[in-house]
Amino acid sequence: MTLPFGTDAWAAALITEINASSEYRNAAAKWGDGFNGNVLLVFEADAAIPKPHALLVELAKGACQGASFVSGASHPKAGFGLRAPFSVWRDVLSRKTLAATAILTGKMKVEGDRMTLLKHTAAHRALVSCAAALDTEFPTAG
Amino acid sequence: MDKLYAPLVQLLDGTVRTPDQFTADHLSNYGRIFQWTPRFVVNPQSQKDVVALVAFCRTNKLHLTNRGSGHSQSQLAISQDGVLLEMTTMNRIGAVDAKALTVDVEPGVVWRDLTHHLKKWSLVPPVLTNNLGVTVGGTLSMAGIGVASFKYGSQGDNVVELDVVTGEGRVVTCSPERNDDLFWGAIAGLGSFGIITRARLKLRPMKAMTRTYYLLYDDLRVFLEDARSAMDSGRWDHLESWGAPCAQGTRPVGGKRQVFAKWFYPFHLTVEYDPGSPPDDKALLSGLRPYDNLYTDDCPTIDFLERMVPVFELWRKAGTWEFMHPWIECVLPWETAADCIEQVLADTPPGIQVGGHVLIWPAKGTSSRSKNFKVPEGENLVGFGLLPAVPQKFWGEMSERLENVSRMMLMFGAKRYLSGWVNFTADEWKAHFGARWNELAALKRRYDPDSILNPGFLPFEATP
Repeated sequence: MTLPFGTDAWAAALITEINASSEYRNAAAKWGDGFNGNVLLVFEADAAIPKPHALLVELAKGACQGASFVSGASHPKAGFGLRAPFSVWRDVLSRKTLAATAILTGKMKVEGDRMTLLKHTAAHRALVSCAAALDTEFPTAG
Repeated sequence: MDKLYAPLVQLLDGTVRTPDQFTADHLSNYGRIFQWTPRFVVNPQSQKDVVALVAFCRTNKLHLTNRGSGHSQSQLAISQDGVLLEMTTMNRIGAVDAKALTVDVEPGVVWRDLTHHLKKWSLVPPVLTNNLGVTVGGTLSMAGIGVASFKYGSQGDNVVELDVVTGEGRVVTCSPERNDDLFWGAIAGLGSFGIITRARLKLRPMKAMTRTYYLLYDDLRVFLEDARSAMDSGRWDHLESWGAPCAQGTRPVGGKRQVFAKWFYPFHLTVEYDPGSPPDDKALLSGLRPYDNLYTDDCPTIDFLERMVPVFELWRKAGTWEFMHPWIECVLPWETAADCIEQVLADTPPGIQVGGHVLIWPAKGTSSRSKNFKVPEGENLVGFGLLPAVPQKFWGEMSERLENVSRMMLMFGAKRYLSGWVNFTADEWKAHFGARWNELAALKRRYDPDSILNPGFLPFEATP
């Protein structure tokens, strides 16, 4: 079923997708173990969306405890942030661009301890892969 | 016929070829990533030819690119519309000074020929690359790393003196003591400031036999600790190691199933010895913690130096020698090496072993004085490289992934080794060389004021 991006239903579907993913369970087995693994995905406004969206994903040891769209571009529960214009996110979630490329070229900014993020690249890729697996209706320009 | 052909032929003792006489090798290098067509290919006979050719190129506003065996993989050793100077015809080995432990060679000498020539004196260059089919001039221009580099640095660190024909056409004899700016500019200088026409190389005595212990590790961090202890022990003459994948089936990666591997780490530790005085195995191996001790090999040292020949022969027979070779090699800080290697190998399919290799070498940050061969700070370092052979049809998807590997290495604090595939932006070049970049730009202005030498790789033109 196609779900509109930015809705509670989309966030709920992401939780289900992550917890059903063997890729995520294995790749992120050590993510959030001994540190705050919650990630805030910030979709910055651009031509496609007039207002930014922020999705808090609560993650620890290969599982997702919750996901919800929150207000503001930062959140006290987040240990890390991934921030990019919506058009970059759309390319990543449509699998047109590798998330690693977006991060490593600086198109997607990371917030939090960079070394910790670098040591868990497979976990982030699996997280993005779960989001990309959702049948999503993205907003269009205008 | 090209109007410059006749005057060029008249000028030189060596040969001049035009595009109708080129072979495929003249259009590319070992990387097979770029296809460039030079206007002429010149094989010089002597330094006199090189001097005359530089003057000719300056007068006629032609770029001049020199190459040895063309083992580089980026925009080196290839020329678009300029003159490609193939130094392999300048391959004379001069006098060996057995007292001073030096030998004079021309730049086109192949390291294999030199090692065999020196055998009768029981001498050998302190550092040899794994591939002995490359030239002295080529590896000195790159750095030249081998399994004895943890002791002796790069091949460039074992040069006593050079003759260099600068981009102005002057012959300059240089050494660490005399014209040292050009000397350290030429060593690992990617041919940017002059063309090496003679090198006086250091030598060391070589014992007749080697014994190599083939250890295997299943834990990267244990292996690295043992590698560091082996470097510090003073027991070993050569240390070689790499990553070896054991395929485990497929798993989902980014939405597609991909073959993945459990990685093992072969570690070969070699000691030279005189016949009749074999080494004490137990003493040598004490303290090391391999997963398995597989094999102990005795062989003449000259054969040990050529140990990779059967591997390269296999690559040739299998056809992978002709594939693209976008090698991504770097030197990592000790502190981040294990994390970086684990991240990269987790995503590296075991198929990389088909015509390729994964290098993991312990190294010392204190063994090289070279100013252009950049390594991270620190006493202990780790050389790491993915050396794939990529069929042309896979280049599109592989290039992005390999670029990401390179970027990840840089984020872990690595310095790239520049013979491989390097796709830096101008800012990344400056970051790579750090404070040395402005010195290199000044050397370029001083020794190659018309910028005729080796264009297309180092972006000197981007420097204000």
